Amino acid sequence: MNDDHDLDLAVRLLAGTPTHEGRDPALLGQWARTASEFGRRMTLRHETVRVIERHETVRVIERDGGLEAGLFARYRSRPPVVEVYADTVARAERLVAERGWRHWFPEGSVRAAALAHEQAHAWLHHAPVRAEFKRALGHTALRLGRRRLYAYVAGADEIAAHAYAQAACGLGRSPLLLTEALAAAVSFESEN
Amino acid sequence: MGVVILLVMAVGVAAMLTRKLPTAFALVLLAVVIAFLAGAPLTGKESVLDTVLQEGAPALAATMIAILLGSWLGKLLEETGIAGTLVRKIVEFGGDRPVFVALGVLAVSALVGTVTGSAPAAMLAGLIGIPAMIAVGIPKVTAAGTVLMGIAVGVPFELPVWQFFSTALDLPIDTVRGFMVKLFPFALLAAVAYVLVESRRRGVEHTWSLKTVRARPPRGDRRRRLGDAPWYALLTPAVPLVLALGLDVAIIPSLLGGVLYALVTTTRPREMNRRLLRTLYGGFEVAAPPITLFVAIGILLAAVELPGAVDALQPLVKAVSPQNTVLFILVFTLLVPLCLFRGPLNVFGLGAGIAGVLVATGIYPAVAVLGMTASYNQVFGVSDPTSTQTVWSAQYAGVSPHQVMLRTLPYVWAVAFGGLCVTAFTEL
Repeated sequence: MNDDHDLDLAVRLLAGTPTHEGRDPALLGQWARTASEFGRRMTLRHETVRVIERHETVRVIERDGGLEAGLFARYRSRPPVVEVYADTVARAERLVAERGWRHWFPEGSVRAAALAHEQAHAWLHHAPVRAEFKRALGHTALRLGRRRLYAYVAGADEIAAHAYAQAACGLGRSPLLLTEALAAAVSFESEN
Repeated sequence: MGVVILLVMAVGVAAMLTRKLPTAFALVLLAVVIAFLAGAPLTGKESVLDTVLQEGAPALAATMIAILLGSWLGKLLEETGIAGTLVRKIVEFGGDRPVFVALGVLAVSALVGTVTGSAPAAMLAGLIGIPAMIAVGIPKVTAAGTVLMGIAVGVPFELPVWQFFSTALDLPIDTVRGFMVKLFPFALLAAVAYVLVESRRRGVEHTWSLKTVRARPPRGDRRRRLGDAPWYALLTPAVPLVLALGLDVAIIPSLLGGVLYALVTTTRPREMNRRLLRTLYGGFEVAAPPITLFVAIGILLAAVELPGAVDALQPLVKAVSPQNTVLFILVFTLLVPLCLFRGPLNVFGLGAGIAGVLVATGIYPAVAVLGMTASYNQVFGVSDPTSTQTVWSAQYAGVSPHQVMLRTLPYVWAVAFGGLCVTAFTEL
């Protein structure tokens, strides 16, 4: 039941991503499942990720103003840095407590999930991981005889990053649930 | 009297800058005041009512029709899914290499820029292009600037712009086309440099955003049911260009050719009439702001070309206008910022009036004024934080128009410098 809801959230994320207007929801569902699966496998046990990790250090900095900008965290590649928005993380932790979701999102797990999410994006920018991800999704851009050129699926990397964060941090539910709930709460607070 | 006219123009610029008056209204008011100051009678020959208002208002009629047809074609590109398909294909092919996606969106924006201008052009390329670029990791300011720089690449081949310069400066289309072909490489080079340099400098960016999960999309939306346009329909933006540039067909029939091509390649015969009418009416809506502006510019041009205005302004303008080639390039390059913020060198504002003065007083040949104004137009179209396409692109990307101005200005300033060099060395 919970897995179905997480998948529904992932499908909605894809449906709201430009380039997927008019796509068959069943296809979006298949991509969402595959991307989640890929993200869960993309831990440090993953061979390519392990190689990248040895050569790349990503600096982490804490910032404020995330609630205003609508951001949990941001990854920038030049120079490699992850910005974690402390105010958003703190508000999300409060929300988890208010909703009684502590068994899904243990204390301190939101910040850890934000870091893991952006770390996954950093990995997904490396060519071998990208190629493997596209093959897994299996969306064809061009077919010449037996040769296939795999297409990029916009939004799928976001789902993979969330799935990685969930697996890496041992969360009971997808961080997408927290995203949706916090967006609704912030929107409600700003309107009242 | 020349000084008074210049002071009145300065007041007009101030009114536009402070948004006290919409540009079109300010230009008409300016025209009427300038005409009275130039000693024009109320009615009769070279008068305020009969010459400035009656003859000036439809003076740029051919441009207005071209704008309308461009907007019509733009609506068709939107409704038939041609623009969306182009961007979608680019993302699918190059999405894992953000710089390829940005170059692809730049190319689509350039194609769109040859068809139509301002905010509708930015929307056509940017509605899918900007979020698609952001989704693949292009930073927001770079994404907004890419669409604008792309449109600016297309502007030298935007047929309504050719028509505008041809009518406003009384030049044959061939002459306008000749200069635009020389201006194009500068615009292209600067745009590609923008994408490559900014991508290298800023890298990629990804966010865990609160806006990630959206509400379920409404079912039954007509546009959502539309699939990809067929590959041969994707050639539509090139059709008017090939007709006008390659086959020397006049501008209005070239644009109509584009409309017909888009229609027959995407629409079933029984749906054609309804789609044509619907998109034409939509085109009127899109074209209303620029057409209003062109009515006002026509009126202003009629006022500054009155004999009294020419006599009053000629000595003053001549005294401050550089005749030396190097000085011409230097001075007019330094004056580039004056076409920003609806400034006095904005071609679609008071700049048109100043161009009219320069031509009417014979200070520069009309073709040199074309070079100057077309070069400034490249800056205005990208970096002016008050122009509709810049405001729309920046806001849609979630950044401020001023951020986009600061990021793009060095590149378009270089384009203007290139255009002014070509002008000075070939037309002065």
